[in-house]
Amino acid sequence: MRREYSKHWSMAKKTKVDIAVDFAGRRLANPVFTASGTCGYADELADFMDVNRLGGFITKSITLKPRRGNPTPRIVETDAGMLNAIGLANVGLDRFIEEKLPVIAKMSMPVFVNVAGELIGEYTAVVARLAREKALAGFELNISCPNVAKGGISFGRDPEQVREITSAVRAAAGDKILIVKLSPCVTDISVIARAAVEAGADALSLINTFTAMVIDTETRMPVLANRTGGLSGPAIKPIAVYLVNKVYNEVAKPAGIPLLGLGGIRTASDAIEFLLAGASAVAVGTASFLEPDCAARIIDGIRDYCLRHNVAKLSHLVGALTAPSSLANG
Amino acid sequence: MDLSVKSAMAKGVFTATVTSNRRIRACYWTMDLEFAGAGAKAFAKFQPGQFVQVDVSGLGLPAEDRIPADLRDVSKRSILLRRPFSFAEVTAGREQTCAELLYCMLGPASMRLTTLGRGAALSFIGPLGRGFWVPPGKRLALLVVGGMGAPPIRCLAKLLRAEYPGVNVIAFVGAKTAASLPFEGQFDEMPEQIDSYIPAFAKFGIPSAVTTDDGSAGRRGFITERLAEWLDEQSAGSQDGTIIYACGPEPMLAATARLAADRNIDCQISMERRMACGIGVCQSCAVECRVEGSDETVYQLCCRDGPVFEARTVVFRTRAAIVEEIGLVKAIQEGQASPTGDEARILEALEHGEEDKS
Ligand SMILES: Cc1cc2nc3c(=O)[nH]c(=O)nc-3n(C[C@H](O)[C@H](O)[C@H](O)COP(=O)(O)OP(=O)(O)OC[C@H]3O[C@@H](n4cnc5c(N)ncnc54)[C@H](O)[C@@H]3O)c2cc1C
Ligand SMILES: Cc1cc2nc3c(=O)[nH]c(=O)nc-3n(C[C@H](O)[C@H](O)[C@H](O)COP(=O)(O)O)c2cc1C
Ligand code: FES
Repeated sequence: MRREYSKHWSMAKKTKVDIAVDFAGRRLANPVFTASGTCGYADELADFMDVNRLGGFITKSITLKPRRGNPTPRIVETDAGMLNAIGLANVGLDRFIEEKLPVIAKMSMPVFVNVAGELIGEYTAVVARLAREKALAGFELNISCPNVAKGGISFGRDPEQVREITSAVRAAAGDKILIVKLSPCVTDISVIARAAVEAGADALSLINTFTAMVIDTETRMPVLANRTGGLSGPAIKPIAVYLVNKVYNEVAKPAGIPLLGLGGIRTASDAIEFLLAGASAVAVGTASFLEPDCAARIIDGIRDYCLRHNVAKLSHLVGALTAPSSLANG
Repeated sequence: MDLSVKSAMAKGVFTATVTSNRRIRACYWTMDLEFAGAGAKAFAKFQPGQFVQVDVSGLGLPAEDRIPADLRDVSKRSILLRRPFSFAEVTAGREQTCAELLYCMLGPASMRLTTLGRGAALSFIGPLGRGFWVPPGKRLALLVVGGMGAPPIRCLAKLLRAEYPGVNVIAFVGAKTAASLPFEGQFDEMPEQIDSYIPAFAKFGIPSAVTTDDGSAGRRGFITERLAEWLDEQSAGSQDGTIIYACGPEPMLAATARLAADRNIDCQISMERRMACGIGVCQSCAVECRVEGSDETVYQLCCRDGPVFEARTVVFRTRAAIVEEIGLVKAIQEGQASPTGDEARILEALEHGEEDKS
């Protein structure tokens, strides 16, 4: 992949392409975000890339009170993926405001705070406290974390609870953008997506990780101290692309709501797949661990793609999936 | 160089060129690397105990007949994440910085490293984490190595000799057997006294004491027992001028921490955790640490706050937790667990299909 980028690098330098996108009323310089939990709270990746080049930034999940998280081992690598059971370890709202917000205030791209909790009141307390902060573009509601006993994914599985939490947070969020992050671990993701949109979500992000397990056959025990963890990485990408396309067709497109697609993205062509499936923007998670500047490479690669395919405006790609030809089918 | 001051040098992604890569013995390999340009500058400031994250995702597997039978199954696993490694020696030249990667072939990533020949390129993120430091007033440094804990301690030995001529240094080295000492040299005829047995330390004028679990080199027993015995032979008195530095399996570090605390000796240990990012953003690598002056503990990050910690702050994981990570069978083989107590209970529970309630 790296070779492919450099091959087209010179082209991208010469011609200007507009890869800006509109996302829930905000103009993004490009459609590439970093995903929650994989790039820190603010500028932690600054040693590796110009973080201000990102289309958007999403913080690690913040909870009202600091959380220790789960015992170790918290991660294990799998084929083309990894499981994590971090357990929402984070510094909590107060330290986030004190230590991280001032850094965020200096970052030029739209920043979204990912919010998690066990009770609806915790979500609204965090959001209400941050809704006045000029440095923030909005919130991403994590109702899909598989690694905590209470809250998290349990909110995200029941359309009634999704409606309730989304409208409560919507009311607390003022004029900030509200993204609701969906779990793939549901029977019909469109039912959940619809509930969130009807309750006032400005955008949806999908997907969070799949609940999964790895067993050590020597010890006959689960490898993770938490027994289970969330599967992320290239292994989940085809499922994520499918779910983005499904939610785009069944909910987002009719409602005029943008999608933030993520799950296993590590190259520009991965990102383009999500755009074609219906995402207005994408986020890079696990791939940043291997290449901390992965998001920047993807931005360059998207520009190259637009040049090669004569795409005048990136938004023309969103949902531009064409039907398979009968030839291919035959 | 003042090690108490954290290096201000920024970390980054750097490519190094392999200048040699060969097997020492058993599963142990050593690779020489050369950083040029910005990488040479960044790694010239490498502190002993710091580490790198290496990318082996683009490397192929060794030929089938070079993969040990017990690693055939794991060799099928693909690589997604970088792997953390220390450097055993770092030498800054005018243009290049050379580094030695001492590694053990035990899984899909380390096995891929063995395929690299002279001239191959390898991507590293580093230098990462907090390394060892030398508090003021130290006159005696005791280096404790358990098996694959050798690399950062060797790196520290070099620094102590080069920059702290007033500090006396002795190495205490433990391994399962003579064959599993991750050093070059001949160890089967090694006597029990402290002497210049291990060339990697002897070349800095540092004598070593060696123990093996089976007595095949040095004294039979654990290295922590040998260290405790040695300390107790010394004339009593203030231990302010003494410091213990250790790296090895967690039970060994726990034993070292205990013996240091009992004798009121400063002790720094290098910890290991499974890591995804290595740069403090993913929260994978939690190490439970005591908060000074309270009963509370917090999780610190091995990759950012460590891997070197003051031993008295670390809450070591229970045997059951360690057994879970390194594998029960392997742990029993390595003498870190016996099939009694916790482990026997867990095995029995598993055999009877009971849920682990913990
Ligand atoms: C700070 C640090 C420095 C290290 N320095 C060295 C070094 O200089 N030389 C060296 O040979 N090894 C070193 N290690 C250990 C090294 O990271 C692992 O051996 C390597 O990741 C194994 O990868 P693999 O794919 O070959 O095997 P895997 O299949 O991933 O692992 C094989 C076995 O090693 C255990 N393991 C995997 N990752 C880790 C880890 N991060 N920490 C502890 N155990 C692990 C697994 O539980 C398993 O039992 C270091 C680890 C850390 C955290
Ligand atoms: C180590 C790790 C930590 C994560 N932490 C969070 C989190 O705190 N909040 C959240 O909403 N998602 C979290 N995620 C999920 C990611 O944001 C993303 O939805 C998922 O990993 C799929 O994308 P990927 O395959 O590109 O990583 C985490 C993922 C990983 C791997
Ligand atoms: S390995 Fe990611 S925080 Fe330490």
